[in-house]
Amino acid sequence: MKLIVRSLVVALAVTGAIASSYAKAPATTAKTSAMPVPTCAPNTGGCGLGTW
Amino acid sequence: MSISILRALGYLEVALCVAALVTLVTRKQISDYAALGTFLGVRGLSNVILFWLNFYTAAHPSRTQSLYNVYFGVYWISFAVESVLALLIVYGLFRLAMAPLKGLQTLGMLVFKWAAGISVAVALGSAFTPGMSGLKYLMAAISQLQRTQSILTVCLLLFVTFAIRPMGLSYKSRIFGVSLGLGLMATNDLVQSAWLAFNPNMATAYNYVNGFIICLVLGTWGAYFALPEPKRRIIVLPTTSPFLRWNQISEALGDDPGYVAVGGVPPELFAPAELEVMRRASLKMVTQFPAPAEQPQLVSTSSAG
Repeated sequence: MKLIVRSLVVALAVTGAIASSYAKAPATTAKTSAMPVPTCAPNTGGCGLGTW
Repeated sequence: MSISILRALGYLEVALCVAALVTLVTRKQISDYAALGTFLGVRGLSNVILFWLNFYTAAHPSRTQSLYNVYFGVYWISFAVESVLALLIVYGLFRLAMAPLKGLQTLGMLVFKWAAGISVAVALGSAFTPGMSGLKYLMAAISQLQRTQSILTVCLLLFVTFAIRPMGLSYKSRIFGVSLGLGLMATNDLVQSAWLAFNPNMATAYNYVNGFIICLVLGTWGAYFALPEPKRRIIVLPTTSPFLRWNQISEALGDDPGYVAVGGVPPELFAPAELEVMRRASLKMVTQFPAPAEQPQLVSTSSAG
């Protein structure tokens, strides 16, 4: 149990570290949520709102 | 992209958010996890508003532009609030986890405040690029804040996992459960950040991953708060434990030291009784330790007698 939990946590940390090295600067991120991310700037169209 | 699955995940997210918040309140844990409770409240409320905006836009397509602007504002403002709240959750978790080791708790919280402050400053500074509009800056700053907060969260999770035994906790403790959920969310945020750099669309396949992860996180929190928590074990540390040693050192740090008067003290400061005690003590010291010059004289007196 201890080994499994520790391995999981280390895997999470390593994944996070690798992922952060891939992000462009300044990177855009989004909420961990099922809600679609409004990536379009305002006043440039609806960006697909109302279709999901 | 299957809209119905995405919508179902969205509904489930709101339901789990409310369930976790209700469990937190009914278990009377809200005082210890106030930041988490606020986070769940903000998340639930913002999701309801975002859902409503989507449905309202579907019913009134002519108002899509203005409603999208509202959607944009609600999403990013709630995101910024949640990022700050996540920092406060991490702070609160560290405080709770380190409660038995007061010295290390104080020192750690001081370090955390500085790290969080510097993270916010770096996030605001590094998001700035010349010629950037206000909204783009807002998005970049919030994203940077989220990334630094995610890194801090993963660090906390590593710390809690590997130092769980000296803190008297177990993997069934709520502190670990909340840290695990936050760690999952933080790792997903970092992965998502890399994904969005290559797929900057409003609805992408990653929304499924996001929906699944947040439901898993909220379910984990709800389960940890619903189930009874094992009592904290008695913490027994060997006398050679570095935790104990550092705790003792940290407890002594910042204490007001004692002071010794070494000179320039006028006799009027002392009470007459104190002066008498000192006079008698001085007399005793003189008789106990005679001056070396007097000793031959004493010897010669005794030999003459």
